[in-house]
Amino acid sequence: MSSKVLSTSANISSAESVENVILSARNISKSFPGPVIALDRVSLDLYAGEILALLGENGSGKSTFVKILYGIYTPDHGEILMKTGRILERVTINSPADAMSKGILMVSQVPQLISKLTVAENMALTLTSLRIHGVKSLTSIKKILKIISEESEKIGIKIDPNEKVYNLTYTQKQLVEILRAMIVNAKILLLDEALTYLPLLERRKLYQALLKLKEQGGSIVIITHKISEAMEISNRIAVLRAGKIVGVVNTWETTIDQVRVMMFGEERSKQISYVKVQTINPRGEPRIIIRNLHVEDDYGREIVRGVNLTIHAGEVVGIAGISGNGQRELLESIVGLRKIKSGDIYVDNVNVKRSGVKNIRELGVSFIPDRLLEHGISPEESIVENIAACTVRNGINIPWGLIEEISRELINSYQIIAPSTKTPVKYLSGGNILKTIVAREIENAKKALIACNPTRTLDEVSAIYVRRRIREKAVNENLAVLIASEDLDEVLMVSDIIYVMNTGRLYGPLTPEAPCEDIEKLMVM
Amino acid sequence: MVIETTIILRLTAAFTTMYLVALGHSIFEKSGILNLAIDGVFFLSTGVTTAVVVPLTWLLTARGLSLVLSTTLAALTAGLATAIIGIFMAWTLTKLPISHGAVGLSLMFLGYGLGIIAGYEVRLRVGSIRPYTYPDSLGIYLAILAITVLIGLLTYFFIFKTALGTAIRACGENPHVALALGASVLKTRLIAGLLGFFIMGVGASFFVLLWQKYWDIKTYLLGYGWLAFTIALAAGRHPIVLIPLAFMFGGLVEFSITLQARLGLQADLAKMLPFIAALILMIIYGSTKLRRIFEPPGSLGKVFYKEERTI
Repeated sequence: MSSKVLSTSANISSAESVENVILSARNISKSFPGPVIALDRVSLDLYAGEILALLGENGSGKSTFVKILYGIYTPDHGEILMKTGRILERVTINSPADAMSKGILMVSQVPQLISKLTVAENMALTLTSLRIHGVKSLTSIKKILKIISEESEKIGIKIDPNEKVYNLTYTQKQLVEILRAMIVNAKILLLDEALTYLPLLERRKLYQALLKLKEQGGSIVIITHKISEAMEISNRIAVLRAGKIVGVVNTWETTIDQVRVMMFGEERSKQISYVKVQTINPRGEPRIIIRNLHVEDDYGREIVRGVNLTIHAGEVVGIAGISGNGQRELLESIVGLRKIKSGDIYVDNVNVKRSGVKNIRELGVSFIPDRLLEHGISPEESIVENIAACTVRNGINIPWGLIEEISRELINSYQIIAPSTKTPVKYLSGGNILKTIVAREIENAKKALIACNPTRTLDEVSAIYVRRRIREKAVNENLAVLIASEDLDEVLMVSDIIYVMNTGRLYGPLTPEAPCEDIEKLMVM
Repeated sequence: MVIETTIILRLTAAFTTMYLVALGHSIFEKSGILNLAIDGVFFLSTGVTTAVVVPLTWLLTARGLSLVLSTTLAALTAGLATAIIGIFMAWTLTKLPISHGAVGLSLMFLGYGLGIIAGYEVRLRVGSIRPYTYPDSLGIYLAILAITVLIGLLTYFFIFKTALGTAIRACGENPHVALALGASVLKTRLIAGLLGFFIMGVGASFFVLLWQKYWDIKTYLLGYGWLAFTIALAAGRHPIVLIPLAFMFGGLVEFSITLQARLGLQADLAKMLPFIAALILMIIYGSTKLRRIFEPPGSLGKVFYKEERTI
């Protein structure tokens, strides 16, 4: 592998490479309280006109690195240099506004837009901070609306600037972000899992926009957990492990297996296996029955429209679909987190329509939410306290010794990277926070597991482990499982039966053997 | 006719005071900061007004200038004094990850204390504040009413139709996203603090100068700041919706004694009427689709820490 390592900023050898460098991060370190060392003297160069994939397992420091480049985090040590004319100059990036003024823009997996505002109002914040087209603090939104219309026409991204963001689909929101990058004339675009889970057709639309940026001499950093995506679109791949750069390779010179070894090491990469745990039992009794369910979203619009679904004991039902089509609201209503407008939900023949979360959980239903910080975890509390919250249901005394033991077991089996069981959850990386929730919910599930994007921010090894555990629990413990995931591959890998959710309706059932193209067509029709 | 004029004057004064305080408070809370300092700031403004208006009137009338000028300057001074509190509150609660409740309540009690220190001595010296307040002229009252409504309309335009107003709303909904979009959360909230508390301070000064024409250290027991808080809450912090509500609640407070007499209510019950009306309104909003229009900013009262992990 080491022969494939071309350059970090410490060992740039050719003058041509230096000539092409658009941004150079040198010896960047960042730690969080806990103590968590997120980045340890990371040096990385970015070349003009390239797409660099930044890969690494959960907690390796990828998101921290791009957030430093975007001015959200301030590094403890190190410096960032950017090309000015023909020389590299040291720059200070204290805020996203600073970063944008230097041509750096970040797009996250969760669109960084304010739902209650219109597209133009969201854009107004960026235009004002950069004084683009002479937009100032007291410029009217009407004028900004006109600017956005003209610009989107010019760039070729069709978006109604007067539309409220909550009315947009996930793809449209990401398009707004790309449009923003084009309007601010971004030279460096940082994509933190921004496109990973879009269906191929939608993703390719956005790739076109990215290629346009690249052709204009812009550079793109892509963070993804899907090595195949990195192989498809990038020119170079940089791998972070435990906060350190372990290698930078040319994409055309490497293979998926080699990248896996760089990411996880020889030993852990051997754990990667896509062999599905097969169902051996006959289909069990109906465990969850949903009848003609209608549910509203946060803005009072009907988002789930007449859903009928039965999940049997021992089977995994997967719901594929692009984010924002009602999957989250459907799952939240099943566990009592969202009010049901009409229809019925039965768990083991008990109508739980008005039961509330506590009673539904007491029936043995576990839940992995989409909104992790709101519904999944108490960020200020420790790992052990968060695990106790769902493990201890009765009595006054909390058996802390036992909970501590369970927590340690979960940390080991799910490979949660944390300084100790007493570490407040807020100091863990996004992936490790998800692992904490997933471990607690899967291992506590008695009758059913309802999961929304259970591996969304997990690295490949962790995602495979989680999917295997879900199938093992369904097969061996007769659990009824309902999974909604934006990742179609995941739905195909884990499910016995597949449905597609689009504009609040369920389409199906389909089998995992159904052609991918057919499923994707249902997702975007 | 005289009775009718008196009613107009009283209602105008009550409305102006309650509307401006609720309006300023709304601008500030739109930026995401929970303002529990409101009642203390209300009292502080009345104390500063008392302290300033008396010597200023002496000074200006001696030079042949009108009472309206000294009272107006006193109102603006009170606005500036409270704006300092607003700036301090915005800076503290954006720059440091500390509780909005703790800072707000501390500033409330600080406001009570500073208000007493500011106004007590002058009040003792002059006995009655009445000679130092706006004259009972229908023309002056209507002019102030017109300016107040104009400020409300301008505020509406500013909050909903300009880039800076949008930034204030964005910081209230989600300061992390607003930051990522390029807004300076600190700068935006400082502006909201300055503007909001200035308007609040001017509004509260009208309690002394226009409405009650009276000031005493016991004024802080009246809880009119909390009434403005309730009005803002019931109107969803919307500058236009605030207008009818401020009229209604101002009227209920001003005419509670009349209502008490007409309806044969107990005095304590009559005083509760505005708050009962606010509760009824909020229950109506909360249980209908109106709640979506009047819901509070998404991040109101939440501690903002720039480097907080978000998923």
